[in-house]
Amino acid sequence: MNELNTIQPARRTGRLGAYLRFMGMAFAVNVKAVLEYRLNFLLQFFGMMLNNAAFAAFWAVLIARTGAVGGYGFNDVMFVWGFVSSAFGLAHIVFGNIRGLSRIVLEGSLDVYLLQPKDVWLNLLASRTIVSAWGDLAYGFIILALLPGHGPLHWLLFVALMVPAALIFVAVFAGAESLCFFMGNSSGISSAVSEFLLTFSLYPEGVHGAWFRWVLYTILPSGFVAFVPLRIFKALDWPLVPLLWGIAIGYLALSYCLFRVGLKRYESGNRMDARV
Amino acid sequence: MSRRLTRWRADWRTGLTAASTAIREKLAFRANFAGTMLTYGLFIMVFSRIWANATAGGTTVAGYRYDMLVWYFIIAEVPSFALGRFFWSLSRDMKSGQVAYLVSRPYDFVGYQFWERLGSALPDLFIILGEGLLIGCLLTGGLPPLAEWAGAYSGGQPLAGSGLAWLAGQGLRALLVVMSLLLSGSLNFYLQFSLAMTAFWLEENDAFYWIFQKIALVVGTLIPIELLPDAARAVAVWTPFPYIAYAPARIMVAFQLPEALRLMAVQLAWIAIGLVLARLVFAASSRKLSINGG
Repeated sequence: MNELNTIQPARRTGRLGAYLRFMGMAFAVNVKAVLEYRLNFLLQFFGMMLNNAAFAAFWAVLIARTGAVGGYGFNDVMFVWGFVSSAFGLAHIVFGNIRGLSRIVLEGSLDVYLLQPKDVWLNLLASRTIVSAWGDLAYGFIILALLPGHGPLHWLLFVALMVPAALIFVAVFAGAESLCFFMGNSSGISSAVSEFLLTFSLYPEGVHGAWFRWVLYTILPSGFVAFVPLRIFKALDWPLVPLLWGIAIGYLALSYCLFRVGLKRYESGNRMDARV
Repeated sequence: MSRRLTRWRADWRTGLTAASTAIREKLAFRANFAGTMLTYGLFIMVFSRIWANATAGGTTVAGYRYDMLVWYFIIAEVPSFALGRFFWSLSRDMKSGQVAYLVSRPYDFVGYQFWERLGSALPDLFIILGEGLLIGCLLTGGLPPLAEWAGAYSGGQPLAGSGLAWLAGQGLRALLVVMSLLLSGSLNFYLQFSLAMTAFWLEENDAFYWIFQKIALVVGTLIPIELLPDAARAVAVWTPFPYIAYAPARIMVAFQLPEALRLMAVQLAWIAIGLVLARLVFAASSRKLSINGG
């Protein structure tokens, strides 16, 4: 009995290690694939930063004219844009299929993943990376470097907040995509959820009405990917960081359960595919 | 002379056929409108909240009230959502080699492309415009007032009491806004066509379009150019960018006939420049094209 008790945690640790190695390998393969087309990578990298910079120009002009908007000054807006860009970028770099899940299911390409030994959900999401997401990831760090008064603790806090925010993006996007198991073609609703979550995250919390904030802390958790991180970051409120991690894990668990329940309804289309 | 006239008529017939085919093709896939409509509506809702905050307490921003800013955004975004995405399909045709199939046909390539792309954009234009009008009326309680127009054409007396004059004003403004949007689409086409043709020299030419798109976004789409710093505005008015989004939006929110006609005249001038540029770039790029096979 004692022997069994020591074996099970060891097996669990071994399993965790195997998954971490798997994630590392998937990441390395994806990076290699991206760097195969260097010019394309650089263009998308700088293009995405240029896209974000255009909105920075908009906010600079607007706030110079009107002062704070929705309680946010220019530095707050820049932080939110940089932070959300980085979290969004990280989510798409590591889990590049979060917005392609329903297409894979509908095309019948899920069979390939079902036959492999790793967890289907994780394997599916991590099997691709999005090139332009690197530009998004870098943008947040560039903004942080440009904003005044930030020391090493701020940088550390930025990363500690960015990871759970990225996981919330993963959970919500993948969750919306998993609806395809129940609805068939759910691309309309999943693209709406993605678009809404991202857009509401990028603009000041104060511009939305009080009733709408309920939505922003539940179905479309912009509150947890932008507004709460801003408050924690400004106050250097470290004790709240584990809470954000807990919330992120909660969203992930819900998204994972939705996928597993949906997976039971999946029927193979007998399509022949190979992953090289 | 008569041969030239016959050719001109043939070009028109080809253009109109290309446009009507593109319209029918677009209308065959109605579900595709949903995504654009959703994103457009979402942006209007978010920006209306931003403008409500920026003008809290009835203040104005560079002379624009809340209702003017909302209507400005609604119209200024129309070229982006309905008339501004020609580059991708043009560039794809160049890179995929489809151009070899198109360029050898007995019609004017630039003209054909213009009519086909503009025709394809027309259903988007009217659907997006209809959605914008509905959301705008719900958010601001009605169309932006015609006070400026009325002031200019009734000796300073408001025309609110004169139903017919009000109707004429609304009709004239609607007509000019739609015309200005079509001019905006034409200008967008020729500029984006010139950018897409660079694919003959550079395979990865997307960066040119991104730069173009982002400048257009800041100069007149997200905000009226009156909000820009003086130096930036002084430079901007000498570029084509304000005549893509600013011109139709300005006509909508601060309608004055002389200003509307002036803006549309500048749009026409830029279209002429764009057309010449597009033809020059196409002439230079087609010399790099070699077609083999049958």
